[in-house]
Amino acid sequence: MVPAPNYLILAAILFCMGMFGVLVRRNALVVFMCIELMLNAANLTFLAFARMRGDLHGHVSAFFIIAVAAAEAAIGLAIVIAVFRSRGTVDIGDIRTLKH
Amino acid sequence: MTGQELLFWVFAVSTVGAAGGVIAARSPITSAMSLVATFFFLAGIYVLLWAHTIAVLQVLVYAGAIMVLFLFVIMLLSLTEAGLKGPRLSLSRIVGGAAAVGLLAVLVASIRQLPGDQPMAMMGPAQASTFGSLHELGKLLYGTYLLPFEAVSLLLLVAIVGAVVVAKPRI
Amino acid sequence: MQGLNQLSERIQHFFMTSPFDPQGLSGSLWLIIALPLLGAATCGLFGRWLGRANVHLVACGSVLGSLLISVMVFWAVNDRSTAVLSSHGMDAFPYALASDHGTWFAAGAFTARFGLLVDHLSGTMLLVITGVGFLIHVYSTEYMSHDPAYARYFAYLNLFVAMMLTLVMADNLVLTFVGWEGVGLCSYLLIGFWYTDAAKAWAGRKAFVANRVGDFAFIIGACLLSLWVWSFTVQAQEGNFNGPGRNERYRRGVAQLGPLNYHGLETTARLLAPAPGVQKVDLRAEINEGPLRGWTYGGALTAVLLLFLLGAAGKSAQLPLFVWLPDAMAGPTPVSALIHAATMVTAGVYLFARLGSLLVLSPLAMVTVSLVGAATALLAAVIAFGQDDIKKVLAYSTVSQLGFMFMGVGMGVFWAAILHLVTHAFFKACLFLGAGSVMHGNADETDIKKLGGLRGQMPWTWITFAVATAAITGVIPLSGFFSKDAILDGIRGTELLHYEWAPRLVWVVGLLAAFCTAFYMSRLYLLVFEGERSREAKAPQARESGTAITFPLLLLASLSVIALVYALPLMNGMSGREPVMQNFLSPVFIHARRLGVQAGSFAAPHVETLGGLVAAWLLALAIAWGGFGLAYWIYRVVVPREKAPALPLWARRVQSLVRHKLYVDELYDAVLIRPVKFGSFVLYRVVDSLLIDRVAVRGTAWVTYQVGSIIRYIQTGDAQSYAAVMAAAVLAAVAYAFYNYP
Repeated sequence: MVPAPNYLILAAILFCMGMFGVLVRRNALVVFMCIELMLNAANLTFLAFARMRGDLHGHVSAFFIIAVAAAEAAIGLAIVIAVFRSRGTVDIGDIRTLKH
Repeated sequence: MTGQELLFWVFAVSTVGAAGGVIAARSPITSAMSLVATFFFLAGIYVLLWAHTIAVLQVLVYAGAIMVLFLFVIMLLSLTEAGLKGPRLSLSRIVGGAAAVGLLAVLVASIRQLPGDQPMAMMGPAQASTFGSLHELGKLLYGTYLLPFEAVSLLLLVAIVGAVVVAKPRI
Repeated sequence: MQGLNQLSERIQHFFMTSPFDPQGLSGSLWLIIALPLLGAATCGLFGRWLGRANVHLVACGSVLGSLLISVMVFWAVNDRSTAVLSSHGMDAFPYALASDHGTWFAAGAFTARFGLLVDHLSGTMLLVITGVGFLIHVYSTEYMSHDPAYARYFAYLNLFVAMMLTLVMADNLVLTFVGWEGVGLCSYLLIGFWYTDAAKAWAGRKAFVANRVGDFAFIIGACLLSLWVWSFTVQAQEGNFNGPGRNERYRRGVAQLGPLNYHGLETTARLLAPAPGVQKVDLRAEINEGPLRGWTYGGALTAVLLLFLLGAAGKSAQLPLFVWLPDAMAGPTPVSALIHAATMVTAGVYLFARLGSLLVLSPLAMVTVSLVGAATALLAAVIAFGQDDIKKVLAYSTVSQLGFMFMGVGMGVFWAAILHLVTHAFFKACLFLGAGSVMHGNADETDIKKLGGLRGQMPWTWITFAVATAAITGVIPLSGFFSKDAILDGIRGTELLHYEWAPRLVWVVGLLAAFCTAFYMSRLYLLVFEGERSREAKAPQARESGTAITFPLLLLASLSVIALVYALPLMNGMSGREPVMQNFLSPVFIHARRLGVQAGSFAAPHVETLGGLVAAWLLALAIAWGGFGLAYWIYRVVVPREKAPALPLWARRVQSLVRHKLYVDELYDAVLIRPVKFGSFVLYRVVDSLLIDRVAVRGTAWVTYQVGSIIRYIQTGDAQSYAAVMAAAVLAAVAYAFYNYP
């Protein structure tokens, strides 16, 4: 039997790696991918706890997370395309018109 | 070490490695393929957790649809390796990196506080055989969580329309 | 002797039966104040449209109306059947009329009512104010006939009369204070009447500021007095009251009428006076609670009276606040006559006469009041020696005579002080109006060195001025002699226990001041009217003034003579024969005198023997003639000689010192005014300009601007830096949760 905390620690590692990627990488697409990584880490946590509790409510949450992640990815990529069309770059460091 | 544990360690290390590939790769295409690999390994771990339906959905939707979308966009934007700059060192990046590492430390510490031999829930053979099956998941989805289910379908509609609207060159 | 007795009986009976119904009159007391007030409003608001003649009519008419009603009230008050019921548990007060017009304000346990009271004291003041006021209004019609601002003048004059009437008719200290401040305001308005001249306007301001200092002391004294009365109502024991139920009636009276009602104060004084063998709260008892805790009743009362002394000193131009009165001569002469001779400046004396029952309970306060009066009398008399302006001499003379009145009040001879107040009003007003007439006929010349020889050229003015001068110096058979002598006699006969030296000292200073008075007034008279016309005179020939000026002069001069009747010992009093005025005012002051004896402040007055009386009269006459003789010798014999000897150096130094008013104004300027001005300058520059404007207001704006310009660098527009901050915050929150909720 795999002890339950292992799954949780794995999820924590994935989550923090994803967060690290979001904060450090300059390419917008890579940042998006790291966000998906974080979402998956959350999924893993939900499923681990569902297994620990013995009911399927965690699975339902994971299902919804997948659905929402799909929607978000669709719109996010559309935004990236729109930004690329107007700016010519997907480098996050170069997109700062809100700068004072 | 039982088979389960062995499988877990294999899948876990692979997942972490692939995730490292995602965040460290220079080319976005490499990141994307690493992410696909991560999803597959994660699906394996889900199966270990008896979450069969979710594992299948992960492969179908995540690896099959979302990543394809990512690859389409990458190819559409024609991002070549040349001209991509590596991460520059700046204050916000240092802070962000440190925060992420710190968060990991705290989370691990808090998880370790759980009793080490926390057993998984004991289930009878009848429940154990249907745990994580589509049938059981469907019962919950169409029962208790009917409203969120319908709301998610609406959300997907909005997402489709929104994606089309945002990406069009001219409305 | 039999015929004299019968005559005095008949006169008494005539004057003491009033043909008017007293109760009906008591409802009309407010008219006395209302008429001049209405006149003031009319002249002030509509004077321009009414025209000069109508304004004169309205102004003089309203004061005449007040005068008539005052006469009726005065007559009614003489009737034995006129009495005012006391609501403080004591017996009714005879010879008084009162009317109450409702509550003015009530705050907690303090009440102030619009109450009017006329007894013999206020009745006398009423006649003086309205009578002399009316004469001066008539005088002003001619004196100010060339002035274009006549409407404003008569409005202010009427307003002043109304305020002064409020002061004397009020039955509590609060309403008196309304009149007190009102006359101060009118004094300022009238002194600075020709305000386009900066010096005159400044003189008005000086008068107001000096009055204000006194008013401040008055307010504090009144507040302390109410606290004193309250402490007593809380602490009074049964031994204080003689009779059942009086305790309740007293407390109810204080609650209903307020602690500052004059009858209430008199009753409180009576209840507090120590009585041998009775266990009660008296002057030596300590106050138990409230802000006055720890003081004795006697000590607190002395403090209150000293504060009132400061207030009266401001209004009546005593030491140390007399500096405004000589400068007040910048106003029109009728104003000086009315306000600064006859009425406003007597308000301080009136106040102490009203508070007589309280004054006699504190020997220390009595001594202080008399010493202040004595010092002022002497100081002002000395300063008057060296003045060359005719009005300034009269101003200092007023200050000196007020000092006499304060001496009288301080030593407990209230009736003599009031008598001197009345006679002084007559002859001082006559003197001022005469000075005005002199100025009117000599192209406004005020320097007496440049006048002279007016005896033949202005006969009416001369004769009235001479009579008034004789009255003030105290020559028989004029009234001033009797009133001044009454004061000095009363002082000499007073024995203040614990302060035996005080009456002697005050008496000697009073004699000295009387001598000085004779001297400088004779000097004034001789230099203006006798001798030859000065070569430096402005107009070649002096004109005698018209009837509107000379008639009041004549009337006032005659009154100066007639008023001597009040001082003659014609009435049957408690201890043998006593003067008319003393008998007349005894319903008001008899309780104060008895209280003083009972409280152990002074011994019972002894009966004056005929020999002692004659000796006193001879001494007074000697002083008066001595002063006159000295002045005559110096100014008519020594000075006009061709080869007049030069004054020795010390005499010239003294003369210069006296001419400069002993440098009192300069002293005040250096000690008080300059530091205050410097303090104001510091506050303006340092506190206001620098600290508040620069540092606090603009500094705050500057700091905000700087902080803002630093913080704006957070707005990088870079999403990742925002995310970094969010990550750090999440870390902090998770760490906090982890460490606090294991």
